Amino acid sequence: MEKDVILEFNNVTKKFPGITALDNITFSIRRGEIHGICGENGAGKSTLMKILAGVYPWGTYDGQILHNGQDLKLRSIHQAVGEGIAIVYQELTLVPSITVGENIYLGKEPVKAGIINWDKLYADSQDVLEKYHLDVKARSLVRHLGVGKMQMTEIAKALSENAKVLILDEPTSALSEAETDQLMEILRGLKKHGVTCIYISHKLEEFFKITDSITVLRDGKMIITEPTKGLSVEALVKHMVGREMKERFPKGNRKPGEVILEVEDLHAQNPLDSNDEIIRGVSFNLRRGEILGIAGLMGSGRTELVMTLFGEYGKITQGKIKMEGREIKIKSSNQAMLYGISMVPEDRKLHGLVAIQSILRNISLANLGRFSSWFRINDSAELKESTYYAKSISIKAPNLHAMAESLSGGNQQKVVIAKWLMSQPKVLIMDDPTRGIDVGTKYEIYKIMNDLAEKGIAIIMISSDLQEVLGMSDRIMVMCENQSVRTLNRSEATQEKIMALATGTESQPVLER
Amino acid sequence: MTKSTASITTTTKKDPSQFGQAIRNNLQTYALVLAMIAIWILFYFQTDGIYLSPQNFSNLFRQMTITAIMSVGMVLVIVAGHIDLSVGKLAGYVSVIVAYFQAYFWADHLPDAPALLTTALSVLVGLLVGTLYGVVQGWIIAYLRVPSFITTLGSMWILNGLILIATVGKTIPANQPLFSIIAQDYIPKTTGWIIAGIVAVVLFVSMFMGRQRKHKYGITLAPMWQDLLKTTLMAGFVFGYVYYVNVYRGIQNPVMILIIIVVIFSYIANNTRLGRYTYAIGGNREAARLSGINIRGNTFTIFVLMGFLCGVSGVVMASYVGYGTIAAGGGYELFAIAACILGGTSTLGGVGTIFGAMIGSLIITSLTNGLQIMNVPSAWQYVISGAVLVFAVAADMAMKKTK
Ligand SMILES: Nc1ncnc2c1ncn2[C@@H]1O[C@H](COP(=O)(O)OP(=O)(O)OP(=O)(O)O)[C@@H](O)[C@H]1O
Ligand SMILES: [Mg+2]
Repeated sequence: MEKDVILEFNNVTKKFPGITALDNITFSIRRGEIHGICGENGAGKSTLMKILAGVYPWGTYDGQILHNGQDLKLRSIHQAVGEGIAIVYQELTLVPSITVGENIYLGKEPVKAGIINWDKLYADSQDVLEKYHLDVKARSLVRHLGVGKMQMTEIAKALSENAKVLILDEPTSALSEAETDQLMEILRGLKKHGVTCIYISHKLEEFFKITDSITVLRDGKMIITEPTKGLSVEALVKHMVGREMKERFPKGNRKPGEVILEVEDLHAQNPLDSNDEIIRGVSFNLRRGEILGIAGLMGSGRTELVMTLFGEYGKITQGKIKMEGREIKIKSSNQAMLYGISMVPEDRKLHGLVAIQSILRNISLANLGRFSSWFRINDSAELKESTYYAKSISIKAPNLHAMAESLSGGNQQKVVIAKWLMSQPKVLIMDDPTRGIDVGTKYEIYKIMNDLAEKGIAIIMISSDLQEVLGMSDRIMVMCENQSVRTLNRSEATQEKIMALATGTESQPVLER
Repeated sequence: MTKSTASITTTTKKDPSQFGQAIRNNLQTYALVLAMIAIWILFYFQTDGIYLSPQNFSNLFRQMTITAIMSVGMVLVIVAGHIDLSVGKLAGYVSVIVAYFQAYFWADHLPDAPALLTTALSVLVGLLVGTLYGVVQGWIIAYLRVPSFITTLGSMWILNGLILIATVGKTIPANQPLFSIIAQDYIPKTTGWIIAGIVAVVLFVSMFMGRQRKHKYGITLAPMWQDLLKTTLMAGFVFGYVYYVNVYRGIQNPVMILIIIVVIFSYIANNTRLGRYTYAIGGNREAARLSGINIRGNTFTIFVLMGFLCGVSGVVMASYVGYGTIAAGGGYELFAIAACILGGTSTLGGVGTIFGAMIGSLIITSLTNGLQIMNVPSAWQYVISGAVLVFAVAADMAMKKTK
């Protein structure tokens, strides 16, 4: 064994009923490097990391893992922590009802004479947060944080273990660009301290900013392990999907028609706290067959806006919503759907999936009315149509009766998208729809969005990925501090312009319809 | 996309793993059925065969009906993420009311009416009382958003009081010949065979119709032999059961009522939106809400159905016991809940089947019945039943973990 190798995978194989998630994986990771792992949804990335973190203990997989030259036979997650291996999971694992500090020290609270030493707990966790410049307060309730801040808290939790090996499974899928840059800084700092880092992402550009070498997995098999220097985004894509991809965004042939949805000077407040104004003046209109992108920083009120439009969050205090020329009041998602509005929610785990049900039941859930009278659900029609949508975005699973929770993260996201595609709305709201989805499938989803728009469906797409917003939208509405700042046409929009508007650094915001 | 092996291929290709999936999903139910058979065999030898004699076999199923009817609704309540502690007392209250109508009310107000009419009216009153109580309770839980635990706990006390008021502390007779038929009589043997025949025909016809429908939608069919085998087995069970109870006195009336209810409610659970929504709400309330599901309406309906079932259970109870008393239905809610949990219903919501709860109910009754026959002192009956319940669920948890 070479001396600078910290981890070595030898013929690691992991099978689930009906699926081989990992097939003879062999590669090694050098001490102190940042090692990227990429691959399509369901390629086996998370499974491999869960083995390394003790989630799937020794004996539930075949093959061997060497850690510092020693056979690593983990029996539990706890033991992995003892070995200095810490992981930030793909899905958030925080307890929402307690504070950031409590979450960071969950299970290892500092005690004095058998009693939790709260002062020390909060002081220590605040230290960890500050040491890595994480902009979160130790005493805030996790429930009140946005997804981005939750992700920061997860990272702080892992870092508080004094890990020698830090695994990050898609840490940036919910982060804005600024937050991503901040994370990169942290990782570089850790590297200086000799921490080895394993980094998973579907945003391929990130690998070239931060990693030293990259391993590509495809369908559970190891394709390559190479230094980052000799690779390029195109080469990575080719290794991942097995063929070349010429463009990232398919060309649409969209011809926006008449206005279908109009929002005029909308104001809304948090239903639980009337001092908290979550929308402070948003105006826009949306045409049939058009894709309207909404750009803005984390916390600029984009999700709050669409949740309010969908009737599920804000209490509207001022302003109007008009659908097809008529003013409407939407009080629940049920009503929104009756008007022909559907929404792919931002948080799939919380708002999108019923994890303990099959893919089939998840996809058909919002659309059962189509297959049923009050007395019967036509389950054959249900299966047929669900299969059609599942196939159209290539959900990877043994069959539609597999539990949603057994899918890889990206495939779970696809289930949520399939569900809402099936509802055939007039207006489709998509809140960060491609979060955690691989490049190949993103392309498929873009194609579907184009198709829908060509059929006259109006789409609102929120995304933190500026390239995606620029690549897919006909017009782009920029939000800043819970207001709509301006709506740009595709031709006039640039990355710089959007960022300037989103950060409020451009002078004199102009409200435009 | 070039998706190789494992993308969804349900409609086009034969999928061998689907059958395996179905088996895995139902593993727990099979284990439970095996456990029940094991208990039967054990008692069979302990009681020199008396336990499975036609007479005791017949009694065993009759004994389970009152709480089993409650369990049917309780499954839906727990799956939806709620609990109902009032079912025992509600059924008890219904039984007392029905007894009161049978013994006094009709005699006072409709002295000349034929017994058939008054008996039918009594039953109707019972069902109505149960359902109305369900309406009130469902409204409080769904629309006033009082947690079901508190609402139904309060109900339990209220109903206890109402029972005392209705009975004035006395026992009311409900043993009129026509009324007793409901829970004490048997279906004539020939009629029993005819029913079995009809059921078998319906099973086969619906199997073929199901296959045809699937074929129409281009869905891969399971091999013919599999469906045939399954349907033949089910029909075999029906005939076997009818044969054995006919050796004694025929199909027990209350068991017939229970079976009809189980069939109807299983259908509701699996094949209607109400059922599907209930499972989704229990599985992830937020996701269900954002899918446009009317959670309050759904919750309300579930509690109304639960109330109706308590009505049925109460009528059967009155007829079974032959009188209404102040103790009617006390503690039955716990039997109903235990049967659900034993049958695989998750206390966290979202998971559970009515069939499982029936097996759970049968196991609990089998235990009590067997221990009684063996003349085990009642103190020990409690100890053993409690231990078995906890052990069974522990074994189930261990099985889930290694899965
Ligand atoms: N608990 C499980 N039971 C059954 N199958 C599973 C389970 N966990 C993962 N799988 C399967 O193993 C395969 C690999 O999943 P994994 O989560 O490792 O993918 P991934 O590379 O992390 O994908 P993504 O980019 O979507 O997160 C998938 O096909 C998935 O369906
Ligand atoms: Mg993953």
